Amino acid sequence: MAKARILVGKPGLDGHDRGAKYVVHLLRDAGYEVIYTGIRRSPEQIVNSAIQEDVAAIGLSLLSGAHNVLFKKVIDLLKAKGAEDILVFGGGTIPEKDVPGLKAMGIKAVFTPGISAATILTTIEALLKDKASAAVG
Amino acid sequence: MRQLVESARSGSIRAASRLISLLENDPAQLPELFAGMAAWPQPRVVIGFTGAPGVGKSTLVDALLASIRLKYPERMLGVIAVDPSSPFTGGAVLGDRIRMMDHATDDKIFIRSLASRGHLGGLTLGIKGAIRVMGLVGCDMVLIETVGVGQSEIEVAGVADMTVIAMAPGHGDGIQLLKAGLMEAGDIFVINKSDRPGADKLLAELTATLSLSGAMEHPVAPVASEEIGHQEDPGVIPETPQGKARVQDAAVFKVCAAARTGIDELVAGIEARAQRFAGPIMRRRQQAVHEEIRYAIMETARRRLTAALDQDDGGEKRIQSVLAGTSSVGKLAEELMKQALDQNRAR
Repeated sequence: MAKARILVGKPGLDGHDRGAKYVVHLLRDAGYEVIYTGIRRSPEQIVNSAIQEDVAAIGLSLLSGAHNVLFKKVIDLLKAKGAEDILVFGGGTIPEKDVPGLKAMGIKAVFTPGISAATILTTIEALLKDKASAAVG
Repeated sequence: MRQLVESARSGSIRAASRLISLLENDPAQLPELFAGMAAWPQPRVVIGFTGAPGVGKSTLVDALLASIRLKYPERMLGVIAVDPSSPFTGGAVLGDRIRMMDHATDDKIFIRSLASRGHLGGLTLGIKGAIRVMGLVGCDMVLIETVGVGQSEIEVAGVADMTVIAMAPGHGDGIQLLKAGLMEAGDIFVINKSDRPGADKLLAELTATLSLSGAMEHPVAPVASEEIGHQEDPGVIPETPQGKARVQDAAVFKVCAAARTGIDELVAGIEARAQRFAGPIMRRRQQAVHEEIRYAIMETARRRLTAALDQDDGGEKRIQSVLAGTSSVGKLAEELMKQALDQNRAR
């Protein structure tokens, strides 16, 4: 069976998509089906797309500094639409001090600059595995 | 499962998208489901878009969505966009959606990307299930965008009620238009990027080729909707040996999707064709059900035989026996069919 579907989105106004595209490529090569939204999307566009595409996870890439606001909005919208089982991870230029707050709001993993590709993949794989076993149990 | 179907029927996109995944992940379930699907509402018309990579299929679909939503605000639209899976890792990047993000917050547009998952022909196995689910959730029209195809990947013509072939200037000369395959499958031809040099030349060559093959004898002119009802039903469309109805009355449109020119005329053309051919479309869909059951039987047999062949040593010993000359392909096939049957009885 095919591996999970993951949506990678860039909320907000920054156009720096090198990181997002790198992760898209990485996930594709690991066998995932990746839906990429392109840059400058609203949280509503990202959440609606994720629901229509029935993805297991959403990856948010953000380098503008608005992560505390926009990541929260994505989490809130998922809840409002009854889709909080879609897990959310994020990445970008995010200060270390903000990471605990993001995790507290429900972001499962935060990938900051310098992290290795292998770590990103194993983290995502473990998260999806947890999710799948939680769904069964 | 039944609960998902009921939620989707009452309009839940979340339930519908789950259902599409289920059908996509286990096409072996399709035959059983098709039986239950008989009572599902169906989309009025399914339109396939195909053409070489980069001619602007996604942009064309995006422009059509905007125009149709404006003209018919009450209609719900579905889009299925297929992109290739990697033959090496099974992974895929589904990027058609990027061109359609303006519609992401429109709750009357349901866009779903599917990966081809090793299926050749420009589509994926789960496509039929996806179309039916879009009908269930209330889509009036479903637009299918195929993997960018070359010359003969025209499977979409067998799935859609109407096939739109997208082209752009600068993709080969008149000889390409003479070749068999793609050109024979089009009901509507769209020359996109009409602002580029060469568009008029392509239009002339295309029109000449189509008149030559008799596909344009009675072109369907875009007409106002109140006149459409008076056009006569063309009756049964003659079938080719492959089961695909021969194209009648193809139409050609010149558009520039990015600049949104010529799009409203194309919508009118599609609508006129959908209404004029409504009778044959319904008849063809009924025939397609027979084809689906045939396919489901073959697929079940194929799976069971594959399992029988792969048993024990992965079929290696059997294959070696053919190579060594102690058995033959015919004899092995007989053996495997018997084995598959016995296993089924034992179950």
